[in-house]
Amino acid sequence: MSEEIIKLIGITKRFPGVLANDNVTLDVRKGEIYALVGENGAGKSTLMKTMYGLHQPTEGEVWIKGKKIEDFSPSTAIKNGIGMVHQHFMLLPSFTIAENIVLGKELRKNKVFLDKDEANKKVISLSKEYGLEVDPKLKIEDASVGLQQRVEILKALYKGADILILDEPTAVLTPQETKELFAVIKKLVKEKDMTVIIITHKLNEVIEISDRVGVMRAGKLIGVENTKDVTEKILAEMMVGREVLFEHIDKNDAYGDILVQVDNLWVKDNRGFDAIKGISFGVRAGEILGIAGIEGNGQSELIEALTGIRKAEKGKVYIKNKEATNLSPKKIREMGTSHIPEDRLTTGMSKDSSIEDNILMGKQHSEEFATKGIQLKRKSIKKYAKDLIEKFDVRTASEEVKMGSLSGGNMQKVIIAREFSFDTPILFISQPTRGVDIGAIEFIHEQIVKKRNEGCAIVLVSAELDEIFRLSDRIICLYEGNITGKFINGEISKLDIGYYMTGNRN
Amino acid sequence: MRGKFNEQLEYLGSLFLAIFLALVLGAGIMILNGKNPVQGYMALVSGALGSKYLLATTLAKTVPLILTGLATAISFKSGIFNIGGEGQLYLGAFAAAYVGFTFTELPVVVGIVLAVIAAMVVGGLYAFIPGLLKVYYNIDEVITTIMFNSIAIMFTGYLVNYPFQASQGKMGGTDMIAEGFKFPKLVAMSKLNTSIFYTMIIAVLIYYLMKKTSYGYNFKIVGENSIFSRYAGINNKKYMIWAMIISGALCGIAGAFEVYGTHYRFLQNISKGLAFDGMLVSLIVKNNPVGIVLMSLFFAILKTGSNAMELNTGVPSELILVIQSVIILFIAGESGFKEILKRRQLNKARTVK
Repeated sequence: MSEEIIKLIGITKRFPGVLANDNVTLDVRKGEIYALVGENGAGKSTLMKTMYGLHQPTEGEVWIKGKKIEDFSPSTAIKNGIGMVHQHFMLLPSFTIAENIVLGKELRKNKVFLDKDEANKKVISLSKEYGLEVDPKLKIEDASVGLQQRVEILKALYKGADILILDEPTAVLTPQETKELFAVIKKLVKEKDMTVIIITHKLNEVIEISDRVGVMRAGKLIGVENTKDVTEKILAEMMVGREVLFEHIDKNDAYGDILVQVDNLWVKDNRGFDAIKGISFGVRAGEILGIAGIEGNGQSELIEALTGIRKAEKGKVYIKNKEATNLSPKKIREMGTSHIPEDRLTTGMSKDSSIEDNILMGKQHSEEFATKGIQLKRKSIKKYAKDLIEKFDVRTASEEVKMGSLSGGNMQKVIIAREFSFDTPILFISQPTRGVDIGAIEFIHEQIVKKRNEGCAIVLVSAELDEIFRLSDRIICLYEGNITGKFINGEISKLDIGYYMTGNRN
Repeated sequence: MRGKFNEQLEYLGSLFLAIFLALVLGAGIMILNGKNPVQGYMALVSGALGSKYLLATTLAKTVPLILTGLATAISFKSGIFNIGGEGQLYLGAFAAAYVGFTFTELPVVVGIVLAVIAAMVVGGLYAFIPGLLKVYYNIDEVITTIMFNSIAIMFTGYLVNYPFQASQGKMGGTDMIAEGFKFPKLVAMSKLNTSIFYTMIIAVLIYYLMKKTSYGYNFKIVGENSIFSRYAGINNKKYMIWAMIISGALCGIAGAFEVYGTHYRFLQNISKGLAFDGMLVSLIVKNNPVGIVLMSLFFAILKTGSNAMELNTGVPSELILVIQSVIILFIAGESGFKEILKRRQLNKARTVK
């Protein structure tokens, strides 16, 4: 068990102005499941990319299977038996599963033609060998996310990997799919003597699956523990460097009037297919309505239609009892809404502008920040930005720093600071803590609950079931554009909701 | 994390590096041709700045560069690409000339103001059409504006050769504008005239608009990320169209100033790529209004000085085109330079440690 298959010695990786990894020494043993945890920006991904040859370390040595790596490139890593499954899958949607798996190392007939039959056979035998069932002829675009992930793993196995690096593998999976994935991982390790490294921030999963766990913070490896000796709480504290209290959040039962009402709403996606198929619901003041569902079941289109970014085909949206269907984003905001978008980089900010300018957005014509709504009052704007940076705990050198150079969690805090400061009675919030570290998650959750307690009506979309359960007063379940269930939080378990998320109705 | 200031310094650093390297390359070419580069560049500088007349000539050349440069800046900053400055300049120049040779009896101030307004309206409208096509029908404005250039140049060519042919002699030009309308010269014999003052005022106004107002902020955000601006409640279509109109109007003014300050009539070939030169100026300084004024001066020095250089040292004036192009190439490779600089700093950091 104790053979060291990967050894990193004194790895330091410097990017201009940033020390991503600071003298990290760790070893991974053959046949173990090693979990690497840490907040965003702690340097986990950088370390794994170094291991996979995507980066060259500034200092330090990488040893794989007893050999020192001189030539840092993915092809070297693949030759050494390392396979990496990225968080965002690298698959071609219009290709079949078999075609995706053999891509880059194709089987050929007469040295020229792609041998599809052989590829299919190879994939079937591979999937039998490892117990990863797939249909080789199915196209990726028709495959579920869980299946796509399986394809990614098979791809690595096909290239001869015996060390697998999985980057946030469960971020896009349902509870059931996560269970299946873990079963597969355990089987690979047990029966095929594989070695698996998992990068994650879900501590319950670390406890469930790993043998050892390394905790990173601010580029350093803070500690390595045998998983059986630690608890989630201990790990969380190691990660954050202080005590983390995920306090229980009381549900609200003092509701006010219905502020958002949706009646028989139909929305199409970018390809012209129905993404939302005639759904109806209402949200009251002082209430968080959580929308649960696996990503891609219409959540994005729903929020875009509610906020005026996407056209609704049929049905009505009422905001404060006034019709708001297909009004412009500007008009809908003026009716008393703000919106934290799911994709913060493309929708929520301008990464080329300063934090200050990103915070100003929406108030640039206000008398507070522009004389007669025209001449910008830079001094007041600066002061306002500084105040919000402090209030929302944005970690930055100054308000003039470009938004794009912040970490994901800090970007999100800026967006939340801006949107929450509009003080609107209605909030549309999508994936508020995606890719955000634990400390910041805690803070963002507090802010959302505070808004609810002030009497706001909140629509919350999240792919994280934990988040939905923690914050929501009521939950609706979305599957393929339909509501498959409506629940009061507390009256349904996580596992049961997974059942509705995969298309079963109550 | 780096502040705005540092970033600008970094950019200035690579800009000077690019200019320096281009000049070195130019020197190399001179040496290969058996010329002395020190003499060549001395002749260039003294040929551009060496006397009152030469200085005036250089300054006169900055006027259209600054105006078309600013026109480029406001459209590019807003994420809509007006490559049609040349056409807008031609139409604006013609409109201004038309006012000048038709309403000759008007009081001078009224006539000039009317001419400039006519140039702005015509230039602005001519840019408005591709803007509209882009915003409502998603027709690529780069292609339409380029095609609109040809239309405008041919159309004004037709006008000056047929309906508005000069009453005396065939010269591909209109009649002269009224004597009183001509902008006074600032230095005898040179082309420098009062339009340079108006240009400065316009530059300040555009700077103010782009950097100090909420509208400028909106233009910038729309250009940086139109998904974000729409999400946040900015009417993208409105801002993109206005950016085109202002851009076209500025080019129209450039045309009017060519007529009222330099040629006193509309000529068939009134601009030999002035708007394109202005576009290059703006691109080099990343659409920064202050940078446009300074870079226009630099381009004007190169242009004026190149003639003296050719006369005095036999270095062909075309060398200047080479230098300009090389600067642009190097600027396009700016990120590459940055990378090199960064790596050097890193290496230094490593050795220190």
